[in-house]
Amino acid sequence: MIGFITKRLLSTIPTLFGVLVIVFVMIRVAPGDPALAILGDNASQEALDAFRDRMGLNDSMLVQFGRFLSDLAQGSLGTSMVSGKPVVTSVMEVLPYTLELALGAIFFGIIIGLPLGIISALWRNGWLDYFLRVVSLLGLSFPAFLTAILLILWLSIEWRIFPVISSPTGGPIDRIYNLILPALSLGVIMVAYIMRTARSAMLDVLGEDYIRTARAKGAPGRRLILHHALRNALIPIVTVVGLYFGLLIGNAVLTEIIFNRPGLGKLIVLSLNQRDYTTLQGLMVISAFLIVIVNLLTDICYALVDPRVKLK
Amino acid sequence: MKLLRNTAIATLFATGALVMPLQAQELTMAVAAQSAGQLDPHVSTKTEDKTVFGMMFNGLVRFAPGSMSSDAIEPDLAESWEVSEDGLTWTFRLLQGVQFHGGYGEMTSNDVVYSLTRAGDESRSSVSSDYRAFQSVEAIDDYTVRITLSEVIPSLLGVVANYHGGNIVSARAAEELGEDFKTNPIGTGPFAYGELVEGQYLELVAHEDYFRGSPEIDKITVRYISAISARDLAFQTGELHMIAGSREDRWVNSMTASGESVVDVFEPGELRTLHVNTAMAPFDDIRVRQALAHAVNREELIAFAGASVARGNESPVPDGYIGHEPDLEFLSYDPDRARELLAEAGYPDGVTVPVAITERASLFGPMQVLQAQLSQVGINLELDVMEHSAWHAAIRDDASSLVLYGAARFPVADTYLTQFYHSDSIVKTPTAVTNFSHCNVADEQIIAARSEPNGERQQELWSEAQQLIVDEVCSIPVFELLQVWARAPEVNLGYELDGSLSLGPVITEKTTLSE
Repeated sequence: MIGFITKRLLSTIPTLFGVLVIVFVMIRVAPGDPALAILGDNASQEALDAFRDRMGLNDSMLVQFGRFLSDLAQGSLGTSMVSGKPVVTSVMEVLPYTLELALGAIFFGIIIGLPLGIISALWRNGWLDYFLRVVSLLGLSFPAFLTAILLILWLSIEWRIFPVISSPTGGPIDRIYNLILPALSLGVIMVAYIMRTARSAMLDVLGEDYIRTARAKGAPGRRLILHHALRNALIPIVTVVGLYFGLLIGNAVLTEIIFNRPGLGKLIVLSLNQRDYTTLQGLMVISAFLIVIVNLLTDICYALVDPRVKLK
Repeated sequence: MKLLRNTAIATLFATGALVMPLQAQELTMAVAAQSAGQLDPHVSTKTEDKTVFGMMFNGLVRFAPGSMSSDAIEPDLAESWEVSEDGLTWTFRLLQGVQFHGGYGEMTSNDVVYSLTRAGDESRSSVSSDYRAFQSVEAIDDYTVRITLSEVIPSLLGVVANYHGGNIVSARAAEELGEDFKTNPIGTGPFAYGELVEGQYLELVAHEDYFRGSPEIDKITVRYISAISARDLAFQTGELHMIAGSREDRWVNSMTASGESVVDVFEPGELRTLHVNTAMAPFDDIRVRQALAHAVNREELIAFAGASVARGNESPVPDGYIGHEPDLEFLSYDPDRARELLAEAGYPDGVTVPVAITERASLFGPMQVLQAQLSQVGINLELDVMEHSAWHAAIRDDASSLVLYGAARFPVADTYLTQFYHSDSIVKTPTAVTNFSHCNVADEQIIAARSEPNGERQQELWSEAQQLIVDEVCSIPVFELLQVWARAPEVNLGYELDGSLSLGPVITEKTTLSE
């Protein structure tokens, strides 16, 4: 297992380097001036020039890239051009919020999507199946921001149950309470993905010979579904959860903005608007690394849910 | 459904997690931004930062709360001042016993000397050009400061007021904290820095030792919410007491009609001006510029923005600024004359001009109206819509023949005329500011007015400069857009809000929040 993990981590280095080069070049060729974006449009030309000089923005792109790589080799992602804080600190401050949002969305995706997928498969081609499939299509078609706004209008404005501003502070109960609405709005997509995958996987498994045998031997329905069928249908569901984790991080940008929550997505947009090159670079490296780690964890999960899978 | 709803509410009550009513003396407001910039008043010139600087810092003098008129300048950290006959030496006597935030001790002349010197240092200040005429700033004793100028400044009190470089910082804190000062700013204002969570909020806490008395409000949370819809919704649910509004008639009317909020529409009016690049074809021909001026229908543009938030202005200097000339001869709306002038200039079939414009609605909207108006006479604008920061970089790179720009500056004609119309300020030059038009016809008058000791003559020079700029069609002033905020009725600012150079309502020691 350790060998497998080490090998996988080492194989990510070229990927991360590729991401690094692309991000580094793209943000610098994109129009916009960090000095103006950070100091404001009323700043004098002298102040703008002095800022660019201080931040090394007047150096060639190659020199700037070399400096970045040198910092990276020493384990530093640099410091933010706006706040002066180490990029790692800025990222670590918001990363838990994005993770809890993504995990919350997955939680809703599983507790709602999985049972609906099973029900849909068991009542295959019945009216309930058709109804749930249409609902899942709606879930896939609804952009996360629209779901978020509808939920706010319904649960915050009309019923006044949840706050509009999701401030993830306070104790665990406050934190969970503040998480519910954003996680639910982001989780709608996961519900749809998981439901459709669970339905399809269950249909495959329910058609297998061993299920027919178990049924013929008189295995009770509940045990047949949960123990024999679901366990074997879990692999594609785990794959979907792993694969769409990256999608969730992407969609989290809008959810974080609408609910005014801190998070990686919001920090990326903020850094982009402020042309905070160093923070943006660091964020991209960490995001790419995060996706790699999630894929690794997904592979490990395969082995846990299916003993036939060996990690080599 | 009702059962489900009641169960949900009961559960939340049981867990104590239902939205708690906001505490009486904790005020929550939201500005239209994604995050704070750099919280150093000498560095950041961004609107979202200006709003909080007004609560954290003091100047030697200040604009009376709720006013941005130079006539309303009053003592702040200085209790009195004297000026020499030639206007070159200013002596300020400071208040005694004023305390800095965070236990940084008493404010003395050393802090004033440090702050004003820092404000004039281009490596530590974004507004150093405002202090070019400062020859020396000296501490005569602990509570007396003398400023010596190399030339007369039209309104010296303006640059030592609580605005940009005039804000006094703690010398000890700035030196000790160095680069960290921008994340831990220390001033003498009624509210001190508490905590900043990037992209979320800034907390300010009451400065108990504030020299005008301890503030009534204990804590201010300034939230950064860029989307107006999100600010609106949170305001409706009572999560926010004050929000930066949308500068549109429709928004003002709907908020006012709700009866649950007080809408403040106040100065400064940001002058929307169409700057015409006189160095770039086809606008290097004055006939084309005149055609452009004749094609602009201001009334229609004001109607588009809305009468409650916009007002007309034909002068290159905003209304209310010292030196503003309201009676200028200008080219009025006359599309027929515009077509004739275009034909005379060699464009009988019209002309197509590429123009860069930001995606922000406050400028993009009026630009679309202008595009429609100009097309009526044959001036066709090909709009290149850009992300805001990219647009700022492009227009400073002299990449657009027309620049629709909105700005509010210190309310003296000299500031506006120098930054937008003096040849030293032409974009893409070493001393560039925001002269997008390459205008240079009024340099002499602008310079002469700056050091003119006679008030009447100074006004004449400023009026002359404005007429020259209008005659040359360096720009077409279109309309002024006022600031708009909404607040809950329980917020009593403690003053009448007519204007704010901080571009937002400043919370003072007298602001209260009723139960």
